[in-house]
Amino acid sequence: MSKIVKEKLDELNDLLPGQHSYSKLDDQIGSLILDHKRHPKAWYVFVAIGGLGTLMLLTSIVWLLFQGIGIWGNNQPVGWGFDIINFVWWIGIGHAGTLISAVLLLVRQQWRNSINRFAEAMTIFAVMCAGLYPLLHTGRPWVAYWLFPYPNILGMWPQFRSPLIWDVFAVTTYITISALFWFIGLIPDFATLRDKTKNAVVARVWAMLSLGWRGSAKHWHRYEQAYLILAGLSTPLVLSVHSIVSLDFAVSIVPGWNVTVFPPYFVAGAVFAGFAMVLTFAIPLRKWYGLNDLITDTHLDWMAKIMLTTGLVVFYGYLSEVFYAWYSGVIWEQALVQNRFFGPYAGLFWALWFCNGLAPQILWWPKARKNVVVLFVVSQLVSIGMWLERFVIIPMSLHRDYLPSSWGMYSPSVWDFGMFFGTIGFFILLMFLFFRFVPVINIFEMKDLLYKKTGDHVGDHHGELATAGKGAE
Amino acid sequence: MGTRGELNLSEVREKLAGKSGRAYWRSLEEVAETPEFQAWVDDEFPNRASLMNVDRRSLLKYMGASMMLAGLAGCRSMRLPSAQLVPYVNRPEEMVTGEKLYFATGYTLQGITEGIIVESNYGRPTKVEGNPKHPTTGGASSAFMQASVLDLYDPDRSKSPTKDGITNDWTTFLSDARKIVSDLKKKGGEGLAVLLPTVGSPSLIAELERFRKEFPRASIASWEPSARDKAYLGTVIAFGKPLETVYHLSKAKAILAIDSDFLASGPGFLKNARDWAASRNVDGDPESMSRLYAIEPTPSATGALADHRFPAEAEMVDQFVQALAARLGVPVSNASVGGDLSVWLEAVAQDLEKNSGHAVVIGGEYLSAEAQALCHLINLKLGAEGSLVTHHSAVAWMAGKQEDSLRAFAGAFANGDTEFLLVLGGNPAFNAPADLKFGELIKQAKVSAHLSPMLDETGRVCTWHLPESHSLESWGDGRGLDGTATIIQPLIDPLFDTKSVLELMLALFGNADSAQDIIKARWAGQGLDDQGWRAALQDGIIPNTKAAAAGLSAMPPAPIKAITGTGELEVLLRLDPTIFDGRFANNGWLQELPKPLTTLTWDNTVQLSPKHAEKLGVVSGDLVEVATASGKVTGGAWVLPGQAENSVTVHLGYGRDMNDTLIAAGTGFNAYQLWDGASAVKGSVTKVGGKVALASTQMHHYLEGRDIVREMELDALLHPHEGEHHEGHHRDISMYPDPEKEFPFEGPKWGMTIDLNVCTGCHACVTACQAENNIAVVGKDQVLKGREMHWIRIDRYYGSKDLGEMSGKKKPTRADLDNPTTHLMPVTCMHCEAAPCEPVCPVAATVHSKEGLNQMVYNRCVGTRYCSNNCPYKVRRFNFLNYNDRKFSDFKIDGKNSSRDLRVRLMVNNPEVTVRGRGVMEKCTYCVQRINAARITAKNAFAKGQREKPEPMDGEVITACQQACPTGAITFGNLADESSKLARLKKMPRNYSLLEELNTHNRTTYLTKLRNPNKEIG
Repeated sequence: MSKIVKEKLDELNDLLPGQHSYSKLDDQIGSLILDHKRHPKAWYVFVAIGGLGTLMLLTSIVWLLFQGIGIWGNNQPVGWGFDIINFVWWIGIGHAGTLISAVLLLVRQQWRNSINRFAEAMTIFAVMCAGLYPLLHTGRPWVAYWLFPYPNILGMWPQFRSPLIWDVFAVTTYITISALFWFIGLIPDFATLRDKTKNAVVARVWAMLSLGWRGSAKHWHRYEQAYLILAGLSTPLVLSVHSIVSLDFAVSIVPGWNVTVFPPYFVAGAVFAGFAMVLTFAIPLRKWYGLNDLITDTHLDWMAKIMLTTGLVVFYGYLSEVFYAWYSGVIWEQALVQNRFFGPYAGLFWALWFCNGLAPQILWWPKARKNVVVLFVVSQLVSIGMWLERFVIIPMSLHRDYLPSSWGMYSPSVWDFGMFFGTIGFFILLMFLFFRFVPVINIFEMKDLLYKKTGDHVGDHHGELATAGKGAE
Repeated sequence: MGTRGELNLSEVREKLAGKSGRAYWRSLEEVAETPEFQAWVDDEFPNRASLMNVDRRSLLKYMGASMMLAGLAGCRSMRLPSAQLVPYVNRPEEMVTGEKLYFATGYTLQGITEGIIVESNYGRPTKVEGNPKHPTTGGASSAFMQASVLDLYDPDRSKSPTKDGITNDWTTFLSDARKIVSDLKKKGGEGLAVLLPTVGSPSLIAELERFRKEFPRASIASWEPSARDKAYLGTVIAFGKPLETVYHLSKAKAILAIDSDFLASGPGFLKNARDWAASRNVDGDPESMSRLYAIEPTPSATGALADHRFPAEAEMVDQFVQALAARLGVPVSNASVGGDLSVWLEAVAQDLEKNSGHAVVIGGEYLSAEAQALCHLINLKLGAEGSLVTHHSAVAWMAGKQEDSLRAFAGAFANGDTEFLLVLGGNPAFNAPADLKFGELIKQAKVSAHLSPMLDETGRVCTWHLPESHSLESWGDGRGLDGTATIIQPLIDPLFDTKSVLELMLALFGNADSAQDIIKARWAGQGLDDQGWRAALQDGIIPNTKAAAAGLSAMPPAPIKAITGTGELEVLLRLDPTIFDGRFANNGWLQELPKPLTTLTWDNTVQLSPKHAEKLGVVSGDLVEVATASGKVTGGAWVLPGQAENSVTVHLGYGRDMNDTLIAAGTGFNAYQLWDGASAVKGSVTKVGGKVALASTQMHHYLEGRDIVREMELDALLHPHEGEHHEGHHRDISMYPDPEKEFPFEGPKWGMTIDLNVCTGCHACVTACQAENNIAVVGKDQVLKGREMHWIRIDRYYGSKDLGEMSGKKKPTRADLDNPTTHLMPVTCMHCEAAPCEPVCPVAATVHSKEGLNQMVYNRCVGTRYCSNNCPYKVRRFNFLNYNDRKFSDFKIDGKNSSRDLRVRLMVNNPEVTVRGRGVMEKCTYCVQRINAARITAKNAFAKGQREKPEPMDGEVITACQQACPTGAITFGNLADESSKLARLKKMPRNYSLLEELNTHNRTTYLTKLRNPNKEIG
């Protein structure tokens, strides 16, 4: 056995330790859906929390539509507050999913297999939460469709110079591709579930969702092609979506927004936040469902490394803003930095530097990367930090810009918080419903991994990849 | 026919066998009478596509399209109310649909009537402008004038008389009242008491004098908190008779304002501001620019504009007046000031003497009568009398004796039985001096009646509440400060069942039927024939009614009395700059108008000097208690830079005790409880703990070293090489081609300049803009959130005397707080040629016109607010809520809902300007409706061959702010017209663009402010 092969096998061993067989993998993952008793009490608690949050979201939306943006804390000069902070925050969270599923697929990183499914789900749910905001933050949401280029008798098109229009394209493309990518990846697993379930009605539902998947070689061929194409399409999205979101700010002339470093710095921030959110869900998930041998310490370790790297990129962005404020000699920029350091919201700024700059540095130590408690705490801090970053960028730049006479303060209202916590609740609800009803780990890719690890001499002695397509005959 | 059932052929044969005669059948199915065939026959369109033969893709397409259309239909479930357009059958005279009519009438405040022109749309008066023919307004207007139309449409106005709180009618009142009056007449009017506010109307004065003769024993008084007794008494002391004082400052070289806000308040301030602006004009002969000194206990607009301002307690101001009088040769004893003030006094005195003949001293109306008299005597010495100051016979009835008349009235009241009390206007139960306890007095009358626009504190304690007509609903007359008479003509029939004071006097005591007849007859008696009457109505003034300047002889001055009361502080009680004596408390425009210098709305405060606030340990918003001999009140503190250290200013008029649903209720505190009629008393202030939310429109007060307001000294303008230089014009560098070359345009290019040198910060422009452009009132809760809607705002910055601060080299110090320099800057949309708001709008709702207007398309706006974020000037305003539909009762933080009909308020709206709904952005339009109106006029004139170009000429488009401005600080015009005034101003070296380095190419630019300091003071 050559050295390279041995290393590869070791790595596979790290990613899929222990004794597995194809049917055991099917059971371990599939039974999460087929056997409701596998769900701990926590599942019910979180679904209840998520449900309440969703109700709060609905209430906030109804009241908002009834009254108008005035129920929020937005004002002059702070036209954008929680609405856009939360939009950018949620969009950013989605990014890890795309990165894991698309980019890591293209570069043949096998370790993605156990986390890509729920990272992708996270992407879709996060973009759903994000998408609410640009729609509802408009003063007249009932005419928000004017942002779409649709033929109309007025002959009016959207104004293509506005970054908000670019946003519309970026985000709609993003949600479409992500949803397709996710669904296509699910087809073989739906087929597995269809075959495994004993309930005829449920089997029918799985049969419909699996779109007649029989696991034939032709199916697999088509599947791989489609999946690869979508991965190829998604890859630029990792960079483009958040770059475009960052252009909402970079294109403007508001001091603190008009920053050329924003696109890469936003992308890094998005991946940073996304991995923090993946960890937030992965750590309890593998504990509750006994998936330690599928989402392994190695996975956590590598995700922590990505977080550390992107965190450093983000922090470099912070430092460069400070440096250029001084180096440019532009008084607006200097006043901005001064306002961040010592202004009325300075506490939030320093909290940001702590959460995103200081806290992730603990991940330099391998022990910290393997310690789930430390990782969980750091990922919480990063999530908070990334939210604070958007607060620092959006209201803190707006509240003191050019004319001191127009300086003001921004304080969010109870409805701002209602909608924010509401989207978090909605996200939790969707995630936990997802754990219950959709294979949370990609079954067939795990089997693929097992096949690569063991060759065709272990497990079910057929060793075929297409175990999923048992009912193919 | 989609599917066919199985055919039973034997059944078919059987059926055919049973038929006789010729049978036709279309198909075997018909014969078999299958249900399918029956359905096919029954179906009207048997060959249409059914769901089953639509393929999946098309089905999805149709479904998608149908759902989308269904969804779109749901987007506007609310239909617009249906209305009908019916042409006039008998068109009212002069009424042309779509055209405005203008009527000249008068606006009366403090008994002084000034000429106004009121715009009428379809019979609704909607906008007030100054009458250019009137000698004091000169075409300009005040915020009070502008806001008077809103009072007309106040939904809280009483709609009919009430007796003991129950709805009644005029007939009952008049028959009851006439019976009482005829009884009392037998006793010569004993038991009859009539109280009026200040009266300046010659016709009403004649009626009142006649009443006095008919009812010699009746008790009568004329008083209101804003009665100008001290001003009249000042002339009584100086010259022996009550006189009006009129200043003519356009040729002045040195002006000393002694606790006088002559530029922004008081009768005649419009003329003062206009003349002062002329004296500051450096266009012709810069050397002739006047110099303004101010000494005052509390900051005023005049103090803010002064070249040298000295903050001094009212007591010290009194000493200063005596010392100055002594220094300038008026025989007064007991005159000296010490310290810095003596140096200041000497420098000022020298400057006044040097400019003798062109120097004037203006004593404020809050000064004691003796001090005002000294000012008049100083002016005599300075040779200002007759040129810079003229005196004319007093306009007000009982001039100088108004408070005495009230005290005598109250005394008589307390002593004898009052059968019938008539309060013809005013609100004495609320605002009479606290020691009189007037509300209690009224209750002693057997029958009392109060004429007032709405049920207020006085109306509640009277038997009868009688609704009063607005001045736009009734006939009247009045005199300006110099005696010029104006006929007040109604523009609209009374909206409700109301009467004016004159009408009520006539109904009760008179012998004529209509007020119009009385007035017309009276002026006919003065030689105004029918033609002259019509001309007077059209011009708004009656010619040759100006009172001749009075011949004067100086009297010996009287010593100034010390301020009464005890306490370590002096409490200055003053009329509120926006709601006046409280009469405008229900006027949303004025409640929300930022008070000059403090930028506060919806509240009055206890204004403390920074030093004293530090001593008490209070900051703005802390609750403090103010106590004087008359009483004590608790209110929010406001730390006011420039306030004299040991003086406290409290504004009267707030704290109305009104029905909760009125907007007047629940704002501020009632300072009348501290007031015994004197404008300054000794008192004390203590911190009581707790806070009050104060809604100020500006939270930050320093320039932060930014190049925003530019100021320079006159010397620097005269000798450019010696003075300091601002950076020259930034060179425009752009990667884009020059739009002027890319899109050449021949038409007008609209632009504006605002001359900081003469802006007095009087806020008339703000209210004018609000009236013209249907700008919503948002309420205190929204102002607290920073959501006020004014399209033009007046920024106020504090700085230090050192102009170095302006260029960022020096920060204002602690000492500068005690006497800061104040910079005023009106800010409105800059109409940038390269507007940052435009490219960021996702739906192209804000776009540029060819003529250079940055336009808002309300219908297109979806409300992302991105444009506002990207506006460096923050001039855009967003309808966060449906402000125009907001009930006035919602304007308060704890407002209760009311079911009043608010439709009447909609009548004030300008029909040429869209009323904006919730969720859209708005901002200054350069009054585009006025541009278009002028263009239509020009085109019509062009079509008739009356002019050469179908475009408005210079000066034909006047924006609302420009029209209101008393100093002409705002100039609007066409930049493309090289000969226009605007083009000339833009070429001046003083012209600069705000935040020029942003390369937004503003169409609105500023003219640098000039200071003309006296080197002696340094």
